[in-house]
Amino acid sequence: MDYFFFIDLIQSTVDGLLFGTTYALIGIGFTLIFGVMRKLNLAYGAAALAGTYIGLVLFLTFNAHPAIVFLASALGSGAIGLAVYLCCFRFTPTDYPMASLLASVGMLLFIDEVVIHASHGLPYPYPSVFRDAIIEAGDVWIRGDLLFVFFMCVVAMVVLFWLLYRTPLGLATRAVSQQPRAAQLCGIDTTRVNMMTFAIAGVLGGVAGAMTAAAVGVLSPVIAMGLTVKGLIVVVIGGLGSIPGAIIAGLLVGAAENIFLLLRGVTERDIYVMLLLFIFLTLRPGGLFGNAQTRD
Amino acid sequence: MKVSTLLTASILAMTAAASFAEEKTINIAGFGASSGVVGIFGQNSGAAMAAAVEKINAAGGVTLADGSKAMITTQYYDDRCNAEEGISVLRRIASTDALVAVGPTCSNVAEPLFGILQAKVDDAGDTGLQFPVFTDVAIKGGLAGISEWVFRNTPSEAAMYDTLFAWIRETHPDAKTIYGGVEEDFAHSRFTWYSVMKTAAEKHGFEVVGEAQWLLNDTNFSNQARGMRRAEPDIVAISAHPFTTCGMLREMARQRIEPKILVGLTSSSSLETLTGCANEAEGIIIPTSFAPVNDEAMAAAAAVSAKGGMLDLHSAAAWENIMILKDVIEAAGIEGTADSLESDRRKIRDGLAALTEVNGLLGVNKRMPDGEAVKPYVFVNAASGNWEVLHNPDS
Repeated sequence: MDYFFFIDLIQSTVDGLLFGTTYALIGIGFTLIFGVMRKLNLAYGAAALAGTYIGLVLFLTFNAHPAIVFLASALGSGAIGLAVYLCCFRFTPTDYPMASLLASVGMLLFIDEVVIHASHGLPYPYPSVFRDAIIEAGDVWIRGDLLFVFFMCVVAMVVLFWLLYRTPLGLATRAVSQQPRAAQLCGIDTTRVNMMTFAIAGVLGGVAGAMTAAAVGVLSPVIAMGLTVKGLIVVVIGGLGSIPGAIIAGLLVGAAENIFLLLRGVTERDIYVMLLLFIFLTLRPGGLFGNAQTRD
Repeated sequence: MKVSTLLTASILAMTAAASFAEEKTINIAGFGASSGVVGIFGQNSGAAMAAAVEKINAAGGVTLADGSKAMITTQYYDDRCNAEEGISVLRRIASTDALVAVGPTCSNVAEPLFGILQAKVDDAGDTGLQFPVFTDVAIKGGLAGISEWVFRNTPSEAAMYDTLFAWIRETHPDAKTIYGGVEEDFAHSRFTWYSVMKTAAEKHGFEVVGEAQWLLNDTNFSNQARGMRRAEPDIVAISAHPFTTCGMLREMARQRIEPKILVGLTSSSSLETLTGCANEAEGIIIPTSFAPVNDEAMAAAAAVSAKGGMLDLHSAAAWENIMILKDVIEAAGIEGTADSLESDRRKIRDGLAALTEVNGLLGVNKRMPDGEAVKPYVFVNAASGNWEVLHNPDS
C-alpha cells in the first residue's frame, strides 16, 4: 500500500462522511414519514429538489444571500411536502397501502417533470459558502463547504431531536408513531400530526437538497433521482423507522460510495453500494436499528 | 335576386372554397428529447425548425412538381431521449403524411432507431422501415452508415478535435501532457473522449497522463480531481455535458488545478454551461459548427430566439436541415399528394443522397457518400460569460 493510496483512502472516507450527512437527512425524512404513517413517500426526493429550486429562484431573481436561499429552499420543500401529503396521503383509502405508494410515484414523476419544464433542464449556479476554504491536514484536505454541509445537517438533526423529544408536537408525533389509535383516543389530532410530519420531513429534505446543490455549486434536475435512491438505500440499511439508523446509514453509504469509487472505479461503484443493500435485505432485513415491533 | 345571379355567386363561392381546399402542405416532422433532463436539445431543435419553416413560408413556401406552391408544416415529437420511445415515435411519424423526419437528439436513441430502417435501398429481403431521417443533433460519429435512409448534418467531431489539437500543438508548444475527464454513462461523451479527443491528442504528440471518470448524476468529484491534481497536466479535456462539466470545473478550482489549456465537449458550447458555471468555465476551448459570426447566422439566431429557443451547434443543424430539405423538395419534383407519399419519400431520400455540397450557416457543408456531413467550424472560448470565436481554422 503506497503512501498516496493511504492518503486517498483517508481523503475518500472523510469526504464521504461529510457528504453522507445529506444522505442521512434524506433518510431521516423517509423514515420520519414511515415511522408516523407506516407509508413510504417516494415523492420525497423530488419534493426536496423542487423546494431547493424555490431558493434558487430567490438567488437568481434577487441575488439573495445564501442564508436566505437555504432557508427558502428548506421552507419551500416543507410546503411542497405538505402538498404531497394532501394530494397523495390524506384522502387515499387507508385499506389500500398501494394507493398512496403509487400516488407518491405519480407525484414524483409530476414534480420532476414540472421542475424540468420550468428550468428547461438547465443547470443553474447555486450559492455555496466557504467554497474556497480548505483545511489542510498534511496531504489530506478538508473542504470548508463540506464541513459547512456537515454542520448544517447536524444542526438540522439536533433541531429535529429537540422537536421530537422536547416539544408537545414531538410527543404527539411519537405517540402517533407508536399507537395511533391510542393517541387518537387521548385527543391527539392524527391528521395534524401527519401534516406536521410531512412538513418537517420536507424541511429536512430541503436542507439536504440545498446542501447537495451547495456542495456541487450547481443545481440540476438530475439530482432528484440520486436523492430518492440514496434516501431509500439509507432507510433500508439504517432500518425503516429508525432515526439513529438513518444517520449512521447515511454516513456509511456516503463513505462506502467514495471508498468503492477509489477502489473499483466509477463504473463499479454503484454495483457495490447495491450489493451492500442486497446484503442487508437478505441478512438483516430490519436494517441496523430496525425492530420487529408492530403497532395496532 | 335573379336565379342567374344566385348561380354566379354560388359558382364563385365554390371556386374560392375549392382553391382554398387545394392549398397544399408538405409535412416535415421533428423528433427528439423535448422533455427530461436533456429536453433543452429538442426544445431548441423544435424552435429552430419552426423558425426556418416560418421563413420559408413567408417567402411563398416550396414549389412542387406541377409548379404549384405548398406551405411547409412541422410538428415536433418527444422521445424523451429513450430508445424505445424514439422507435415508437418514428413509426408513428411514418404513419402520418410526413415526407421526412428531422431527429433524433440523442445518440443512444439514434443507434437502435436507425437499425429499424431498411439498411440497403431496394433490398427486397429487408423489410425495414423505408422512411428518410435527416439527423440534426445526435452527434456520435459514423451512425449514418447503419441505413441508407439515414442522413446526418452533424459536424465531424473527429475532424474538429484533430484540428483543435493540431492548433494547440502549434500555439502552445510548451504543452506536453493531457488529462481526460469523461462522463462514462453517456454515449456521446464516452465516444468523444475515448475515440476522438484521446486519439487526436495522442496523434499530435500529447501524452495522456491520466483519465477520470464520473456519471451523469454524480455530485461529488473530489476523488477524480485529486488524481488530476497529482498528474499536473498541461491540458485538461472534459468530455461531459454541462451539469457534470460545471461540477468538475468547480472541484478543479477548489483543488487549485490550473491547466494551461482547458478543452470541452462540443455539446457544452451552449448556454447551459455559461448559465451553470460561467466563472469556472472561463477560457475553456470548444470546437463548434455554429457561432453567430455572419449576417445569416445572426439572423437565424434572432429568428430562433423569437421562437423561444437558442441556436447552438445542434439546433443550427435543425435550421440548416429545413433549408436543405426545401431545396431537395424543389429539385426532386415532389408531388405532395396522398397517392404520391411513398414515392415522394423515396425522392427525398435519393435527393439527399445525391447532394455533394449544401449551404450552411457558417459556409459550405460537404455531403459525404455515407450520409454524413463535413461542416465548417470554429473554436470558441468562454470569455466574460459569453462564447467568443477564438480561431477560425478556415480563415
